[in-house]
Amino acid sequence: MIKFDDTHIENLLEARQKADLEIITLGSFTLILNGEEISDNWGRDKAIQLFQFLIISRNRMALHKEMIIDRLWEEAGSDQTFKVALHEIKKVIEPKTNKRGNTKYIQRQGSSYKLNMENIWLDSQVFKSFIEIGNKLYSEQKELAILSFQSAINIYKGVFLPNRIYEDWTSSERENLQMLALNAFVSLSELLLNEQPKETIRLTEEALNIDQTWEEAYRIQMMAHMLNGNRPQALKCFEKCKNILNKEFGIDPLPVTIDLFNNIKTK
Amino acid sequence: MSKNDQTASFLLRFTQVIFKDKTGKADVQWRGKITHVQGNDQKNFSELKDAIGFIQNKLSDLTISSIKEDLSPKEKEGILNKSMDIWKKLAKSYPKMVAEAIKDPKAQVIQIQEQISSKAEDLSNLLHLESYKPTSKSDIQELSHQISQLTDLVAKLQKKVDNIDRKISKS
Repeated sequence: MIKFDDTHIENLLEARQKADLEIITLGSFTLILNGEEISDNWGRDKAIQLFQFLIISRNRMALHKEMIIDRLWEEAGSDQTFKVALHEIKKVIEPKTNKRGNTKYIQRQGSSYKLNMENIWLDSQVFKSFIEIGNKLYSEQKELAILSFQSAINIYKGVFLPNRIYEDWTSSERENLQMLALNAFVSLSELLLNEQPKETIRLTEEALNIDQTWEEAYRIQMMAHMLNGNRPQALKCFEKCKNILNKEFGIDPLPVTIDLFNNIKTK
Repeated sequence: MSKNDQTASFLLRFTQVIFKDKTGKADVQWRGKITHVQGNDQKNFSELKDAIGFIQNKLSDLTISSIKEDLSPKEKEGILNKSMDIWKKLAKSYPKMVAEAIKDPKAQVIQIQEQISSKAEDLSNLLHLESYKPTSKSDIQELSHQISQLTDLVAKLQKKVDNIDRKISKS
């Protein structure tokens, strides 16, 4: 098992400066090549789709182009569609490479393709790494866990590829990242509860923006309001939680939440 | 008609909540959320039948919007009925499978055990031991070595499953 320390966090924080190509996928889709942002409409939609699909599949083995065509475009795609889309991507991110050669960012193995992440900084990947470190350090190294979760949250600017929410090939990555974001907001709010109750309230609000039924976030927020000296707000927070759980699931809050409410009420 | 017009994708999220009830006894609750990807509509649910209802509505909409306008009312009705029949068959078996996966991990263990036994049988059938005529002593040794490796592997798997089974029975 890898033991994480501050060097891992530092390396992740510095990685962006070292990369030639930065890819933003959280909250928007932006490419930054050698420090310069590439305009939004850099290619036809199929070229952008292909590049985004390669990003999502980066941890898998190289994908055969037939499989990519089928997954992305079905009957609307062909060898020619793929070729044109790939050419457009290369033209934008690797203008100096010749048409046929193996390129710096897209590796070709026969008819299969894969993104070479060596010189790429991808926000969603770094975001996942920070959360992984935060989770590992959560119980033993609180300060570093806080730094790690904060770094993750700084990167999280919104849902994964927001312009593709209606396309099913992006769904599982989006869901995965959203759950990780929820985890980061809740974990960080717990870690900061006693020292920074106001920040805890903000973080739990962020968590509830992702999932308004996340009961744990309500509990932490109730405690933060109490630490902040705002009992009425803590009681209001419980009411909100109760109403939402009833409306969405037809259930009551958990006994632990009700106990917390009763404790606050009697104080 | 594009691919998106004929496809309905659903994303299911299950969140397990383990808690202590008023008497201090451990209990578990499942909270679910289903998303229709193409419409980005979502529904929270605590009972699977609500998720099934949500899927059914979306599939009905999809079928209705896919039926060509120039078909006769009878043909339209036929397509709608057929489409719903297929869904009903799926809806009957799938929730049961999901529910079993959630509620009864022990049943899954038994299923895995059965699969292992059945695979072991398949393996012995595939080897056709009775008809295997080795040509040399080394062939016999090689064969017995392979059988011994397979037996060890199956025994290890069986042990793992038994351990899981024991853990589940304890909990």
